[in-house]
Amino acid sequence: MSGEDSFSKKLMTAAAMLLFRSHRKPGVKGWELKYRLGKNYMKIIDALNSHLKRLGLEVKTVFEEGEDLDKARFYITLARPLMLSDLVTSGWSIDEVAALAVTLSILVSRGGKAPLKDVLEVLETKFPKWKAEAHLERAIRRGYVEKSEEDVLTLGWRAKVELDQKELLTSMLELQPPEQTKEESEGEE
Amino acid sequence: MTTAEKKLRIAKEELENIIKICENIEKRGLNPFTVNVKELLSKLRKTLEETPDLDYYVMDAETVYKIATLVALQHKWLKEKARALFVDAQMIATRLVAMDKKSIVRAFLKAWRPIVSLEHMTPHRLRQGIEHFLGLPPRGGGRTWGWKISQREVELIKGKIAEEEEIAEKLKELREELMKTYEEKGEVDYWEFIKRDRFEESFERAYLLSFLITEGYVDVKRNPLKNEIKLIPRKEKVKREQSVSLVITIGGELGERRR
Repeated sequence: MSGEDSFSKKLMTAAAMLLFRSHRKPGVKGWELKYRLGKNYMKIIDALNSHLKRLGLEVKTVFEEGEDLDKARFYITLARPLMLSDLVTSGWSIDEVAALAVTLSILVSRGGKAPLKDVLEVLETKFPKWKAEAHLERAIRRGYVEKSEEDVLTLGWRAKVELDQKELLTSMLELQPPEQTKEESEGEE
Repeated sequence: MTTAEKKLRIAKEELENIIKICENIEKRGLNPFTVNVKELLSKLRKTLEETPDLDYYVMDAETVYKIATLVALQHKWLKEKARALFVDAQMIATRLVAMDKKSIVRAFLKAWRPIVSLEHMTPHRLRQGIEHFLGLPPRGGGRTWGWKISQREVELIKGKIAEEEEIAEKLKELREELMKTYEEKGEVDYWEFIKRDRFEESFERAYLLSFLITEGYVDVKRNPLKNEIKLIPRKEKVKREQSVSLVITIGGELGERRR
C-alpha cells in the first residue's frame, strides 16, 4: 500500500471514529485516535478538518486535563451558526431551543451555576410550568445542564463543547426590542 | 449555666452560623462578595481572644478554613465575571424576560455549534448484547419458553406418560372382560359388572367404564321402569351422533343406586 493510500485510509478511519458514536457520549479521546491512527494523528485530524470545513463542519478539540492532547476530547461540530429555518429540519422546536437558550444564558451570566428555582422563574415567563420543567429535564438528559442534589444547575459537558459562552452573552446583550425584531423577521420571511 | 459557659455557647453558635453561610454560598452558587470577609476575620480574632476553650479553637480553625474557601470562590467568581465580560446577570435575565422566543433563539444560534454524531451498531455492542442475553437468569416460576426443560419438568412428564399408559392398559382389559361376559350372557347389567368386593375397585371400574362409553366402545341401554342399566360392548368404535349425559351416583354402599 502506497503512502497516499495509507493516509486516505487513515482519513476515513478518523472520519468514522469521529462521526459514529461508539461510547455513551459522542466524541473520541486523543489517545483513542493515537491508538488507531498512529502518533502523528494530529496531522490526519488537521487534514480531515480541512475536508470537513468545505461541508460546513469542523473538528473541535476540548481539553479536559490541562493542554494534553491525548487526554483531550475530539468532536465534529457545525462550523457555522444554524439559521432559524434549519432548526425545523434538525428536529428541534423553537420552544425547545428557546428554553435551552434561556437556561444556558442565565447559567453563563452567573458564572456557570444557578439555583433551579431562579432558572424556572425566568422560564415560566415564557412557558407554562409543566412545559418549562419538561424542557429543562430534556436539557439535563441531553447533557447541556447538570442538576445537583441541592437543586443547583450547572453547565453540562455538552454546553461546554457546543457553546461559545462569550458570543452567547454578547448576542443576548445585542438583542433588539420586540418591535424591531418583528419587522426584521417579517423582512426575512 | 455560668456566664462563661453561656458566652462560650453564644460564640460557638456564631461560628456555626458563619460556617453555614459559607457552605450555602458554595453550594448554591451565590455571589461570594455578599459576605464581608474582613469583618468576619476581625470578629473571629476578637472572640478567639475572649474564649480560651479547646473545643472553640477547633471550631474556629474550621471556620477559618471555610472563609478561605470563600476567598477562593471570590477569586473564581471574578475570573468567571471577566470571562463573561462583567455582564450583570440581572441585566441578562431582564432581557430574556422582555424578548420574544424567536429573538432569543436567533441570538442563541449565533453562539451554538451542535455536535454532529451518528448512532450505529458496532460488533462490540452486538457481542455485549449476546453475552447479556445468555447471562439472563431463568424467569421466576420456572421457564415457560425456550429449549431448556428443567429436571422437574422431565419427572412430571415421565410420571404423566406412565399414568396414561397404565390407564390405557386397564381400559383394554376392562373392554375385553366386558366383551367376554357379553358373548357368554348377552346384555350385561351395569351394577353387576362394576361391583367388586372393595368399594375402591368398584369405583375404579365405573370410572374406567365411563371412558369406554364416552369413546363409543360400549352402548348403554336404560330401562327406567325396571330401573335397569344394560351394557352392550362394540367390536368397533361407534361414532356418537347425539351425546347424552347419564348421571350415576355411587354411594358408600354400592347397592344404593340413584339416578
